[in-house]
Amino acid sequence: MRKVAIVGGGATRCGKREATWRELVQEAGKEMFEDVDDISPKDVEALLVGSAQPERFVFQVHVAPMVAEYLGMTPRKVIAKTELMCASGQAAIRYAWACVASGMADVAVAFGVEKMYMPDMAEAQTNMTCVLDREWDGINGLSAPPFFAMTAQRHMLEHGTTKEQMALVSVKNHHYSTMNPLAQFQKEVTVEDVFKSPVVAPPLNLFDCSGITDGAAGVILVPAEKAKKYTDTPMYIIGSGQASIGNTINNLASITEWIPLKLAVEETLRTAKITLKDVDIAELHDCFTISEIMEYEAFGWAKKGEGGKFIKNGEPYIGGTIAANPRGGLLGCGHPLGATAILQALDILQQFRGEVPEGRYVKGAEVAVTHNLSGAANVHSILAYSRSER
Amino acid sequence: MKKVRFERIKRTETIKLPYMLDFYPLEDEKNIRISQFFNNLKEGRLTTTRCKKCAKVLWPPRIVCPSCFSDELEWTDLGTEGELYAFTEMRLGAPLGFVEDLPFCIGIVKIGGLSISARIDNAKYEDLKIGQKVRLKIVELNDGRVFYRFEVMK
Repeated sequence: MRKVAIVGGGATRCGKREATWRELVQEAGKEMFEDVDDISPKDVEALLVGSAQPERFVFQVHVAPMVAEYLGMTPRKVIAKTELMCASGQAAIRYAWACVASGMADVAVAFGVEKMYMPDMAEAQTNMTCVLDREWDGINGLSAPPFFAMTAQRHMLEHGTTKEQMALVSVKNHHYSTMNPLAQFQKEVTVEDVFKSPVVAPPLNLFDCSGITDGAAGVILVPAEKAKKYTDTPMYIIGSGQASIGNTINNLASITEWIPLKLAVEETLRTAKITLKDVDIAELHDCFTISEIMEYEAFGWAKKGEGGKFIKNGEPYIGGTIAANPRGGLLGCGHPLGATAILQALDILQQFRGEVPEGRYVKGAEVAVTHNLSGAANVHSILAYSRSER
Repeated sequence: MKKVRFERIKRTETIKLPYMLDFYPLEDEKNIRISQFFNNLKEGRLTTTRCKKCAKVLWPPRIVCPSCFSDELEWTDLGTEGELYAFTEMRLGAPLGFVEDLPFCIGIVKIGGLSISARIDNAKYEDLKIGQKVRLKIVELNDGRVFYRFEVMK
């Protein structure tokens, strides 16, 4: 297997965009190809497009060839859409990585795009309610907010986690997103603001939830040995982990402890040949405030049940135990499903290049992880990146 | 420039809820092999399949055991009383077909050794408690299809 590097990429501004799915693709594609001078669209041999629900949100299937056409690519090795709901973009990176690592392709693009704003919000919400098993869980109205609300309720009951601790995750990630021009939310929020925001599903308020977001992003992958040909500052993929246990509520490993995430973390550290102490930046999947708290625990930065105290003590800020979500997270940047993992990867690339504003810059960072969960947190996906070749 | 003709065309203004946006499945034996589940619901029984070979109780009901791949399964009753493991109330963001129900409670109910999600009727969020007993309730759609919910025992 060959080692693989990301040599560049580009993205749209995220949010409620006055642009169609097709236009988001063009915006991000232009940025991506302009970031890497010596790769033209015709050089791309493999194209993977992460998009969770274009069938529902924009009533379009067979979308990978649309991306190829709009961006002038004519892939000759591999072309497909990848879907893993909230981790669809990471699925695209993983498959593009596999294409290059295996020797099948020398230049691969992992692209992600989602258009989530629809004229009727109830239609968008309908799409989000067929993520869990539609006939047994979705049918009960169980979309993401009620599921994570019940997760939070159990975590509060069993471990004494508080609404204030949850709100502090939102405060942190909105703080960092004010320094990210691509982010959907550009304003600081306070604990009080979170409490005053409308209740979505108790104990979750609106600012405990990531947004409905339009956005697109893409990155270009090449064999590590050729990376310096294209850029002085490539980013290397050094490991990964992914685990899936159960799907319907009854068959989850646990509601209050994310066992598949623990497995994915172990696999990531093993394959990357690193320890948790080596990780300088973590882009965590904070789809809800409770998610990030449970992720501190599953990764092992905080003890089981102590994720709430961890944020209360300021440990996940830059300079603390781990710089968690200095990009602004999903809470601050929004969550354009298929694009999210690509946006995370791009931000790590910019961190390594030293291209992010001072206030959210993790100086000297060498190793980073990006994480996505999907469904009822039954699937967890992680990629590990490094600044130097290892 | 030649004059271009404009014509206003007619389109149906409203369509009925299309099949694929209906959360309730087709329940009859022509469409689904576990139609017995719904027939049992019509008799007030919440059931699921158990593998005759390895004795595993399987939820959701199915036609093949994922542990031993036997297709010899039998129906087993889960009972009519359960206990709330967790609950919340959907106040914003309901899907089409549920918007008019807002707000409504959703829970995870422990029943017959399983933990299943369900609507919790006859309750406000503020009045619910973890560990509270809930009783099976059957709801029937206009077209005769049925599904299970739970309600608070008073």
